[in-house]
Amino acid sequence: MESSVPGGQRTLQKRRNAQLQKDKKANQTPASARQAGFGGSSSNILKLYTDEANGLRVDPLVVLFLAVAFVFSVVALHVVAKVSGKIF
Amino acid sequence: MAKKNPQFEKLVETPLEFVKEGNQFLQKCKKPSKQEYLKIIQAVGIGFVAVGVIGYIIKLIHIPIRYLIV
Amino acid sequence: MAGCMFSAPKFRLIDLAKPFLAFVPEIELPYDNLPFDDKIVFTLTTALIYLFGQFPLAAIAKGSVSVKDPIFFLRGVFAAEPRTLLEFGIFPPIATALILQLLAGFKLIKVNFSQRKDRELFQTLIKIVSIATYAVLANIFIASGYYGEDLSLVAKLLINAQLIGAGFFVTLLIEVIDKGHGFASGAMAIVAISLSTGLVDDLFGIQQIPIDQDGNKEPRGAIINLIQGFRAKHKTLLGAIVNAFQRDYLPNLTTGLLVVVLGGVVCYLQNVRNELSIKSTKVRGMVNVYPIRLLYTGGLSILFSYCVLFYVHILGFVVIQLIGGNKEGSIINTLMGGYESTEFFYLARFPLSLLTPPTSFFALLQQPLTLFTFTAFLIITGVWFATNWQEISGSSSRDVAKQFKEQGVTLAHHREESKDLIKIIPVASATGAAALAVLVAAGELLGLKGKGAGIAVAISSAFAILEVVTVDFQQNGGQSSIAQMLGGRPA
Repeated sequence: MESSVPGGQRTLQKRRNAQLQKDKKANQTPASARQAGFGGSSSNILKLYTDEANGLRVDPLVVLFLAVAFVFSVVALHVVAKVSGKIF
Repeated sequence: MAKKNPQFEKLVETPLEFVKEGNQFLQKCKKPSKQEYLKIIQAVGIGFVAVGVIGYIIKLIHIPIRYLIV
Repeated sequence: MAGCMFSAPKFRLIDLAKPFLAFVPEIELPYDNLPFDDKIVFTLTTALIYLFGQFPLAAIAKGSVSVKDPIFFLRGVFAAEPRTLLEFGIFPPIATALILQLLAGFKLIKVNFSQRKDRELFQTLIKIVSIATYAVLANIFIASGYYGEDLSLVAKLLINAQLIGAGFFVTLLIEVIDKGHGFASGAMAIVAISLSTGLVDDLFGIQQIPIDQDGNKEPRGAIINLIQGFRAKHKTLLGAIVNAFQRDYLPNLTTGLLVVVLGGVVCYLQNVRNELSIKSTKVRGMVNVYPIRLLYTGGLSILFSYCVLFYVHILGFVVIQLIGGNKEGSIINTLMGGYESTEFFYLARFPLSLLTPPTSFFALLQQPLTLFTFTAFLIITGVWFATNWQEISGSSSRDVAKQFKEQGVTLAHHREESKDLIKIIPVASATGAAALAVLVAAGELLGLKGKGAGIAVAISSAFAILEVVTVDFQQNGGQSSIAQMLGGRPA
């Protein structure tokens, strides 16, 4: 799994290009509401998320790592519970 | 005929028509041949087991952790 | 901000998401179309991380609790594991997305999908409602005593944090795949991988689990159990074979085989199609086929039926357990039937039992009405969903006809093509949904405890994903090292 390291001329350039393309895509209005699909799903595929909202943007790799970290925090919680000998 | 409740009639007719239409459609359909089907089953089976084994390895990681903490 | 000024002053449901837009995390879209291999790795990794989340909850009461699992037969479809972080699996995102997208399709929620701002609000709404659903479900289960009768406030807060935190990450994991880092749909990839893992575990699982007070152990996997049974000291040879097929405390071979057979039938149904021959209007003599699948909406109809079933049973659980306390002889229990407690499960009595598949074929004999009600429920909800979904999901007959026009193709033997399509697509979706519903009902009524529905959804999801993977592979899989490793043949 290769991810682009933030920073660097090439990445910046790439990012700018991607942004341009993204903007282009965003401004393209589909011919009809129907064509856009109601939320991006198709006849046999259920999609929840397709557009990028202007929110708190996170890198997918960061999310994957945080998700694993979250599970380990629960493991830690088990350990604390066992060591302290009570179940809160 | 005319005295029958039209709503009731519809209630009986709709499923019947549904089955009829469905049957007609099914008859027009192309079913996979035996050879084709065996190939599909094989591919899906291998894929399912392969992915399942990878997933199972993750589950195996859980066992020692559970043993230590629970 | 321009979008706000143009929108009507009337209140719209999606505007509820507006205040959240700024701080709800949002996965970035990939810079450009990711290489084939990256997508494969992302899809697998994401789903595997989901599996890793099937970890037992901390701060819950140890040992057995009097309140048992009331939704055991719904877990298979939603990749949920009891008493783990994934208590509710991916039910909240799937249910929220299906229902909100249907409502938007019916124009009951006003969303202008041609506007980017609206699309963003809509998907943020899905995310918020999913996480809220996790929170509500978590607190229903905590309050019911499912995690222990008298939990301290700290424990309650900790369980809340774990379940909602897990729900939050599950929605993000789905989003990673949905946004194009992986293939097709996150929810469907997770169901497919989780179910295949479950199947491997049930058949080949090597974990030894203590089964009685004498310290005898049996492996989880049914096939491993059969092999090991030949050598076990506490069983005779014949006993071992009977035990391998019949044990009810761990997966047995009978259910395992049933699930495999069911999966095989779904594979067959997936490949039943009506091939319309089409010809190009521009190039003479170019004839092609356009397949209309029997399972036009894939496994989504089953997913929808099970979402409805989930809501019904959670509602029942709230009324019987939370409000009524499941007390014998109380008014609520007389009306709603209450639950019968077994070692692991809460079995609903009449009338809720009408929509509860039996735990075994013999249990069905005690609730024969379920045979009709459960089957009818699956067929009616499934067909209703499929008929409406094909209409709103951008793949109705009108859409296909329009697509044909744009690409300059017409049906080879028919003059009035759209009329023909209008007839075929709805009939295909409805018939397919009905066939799948009957199949799932048959499996579930034989006592598969949700695995039957699970395998149906998993196989059809796998096919849907595979289709996307194949197309992507043909377009830019040329340098795929994964494909080379596997011998260079697309599955």
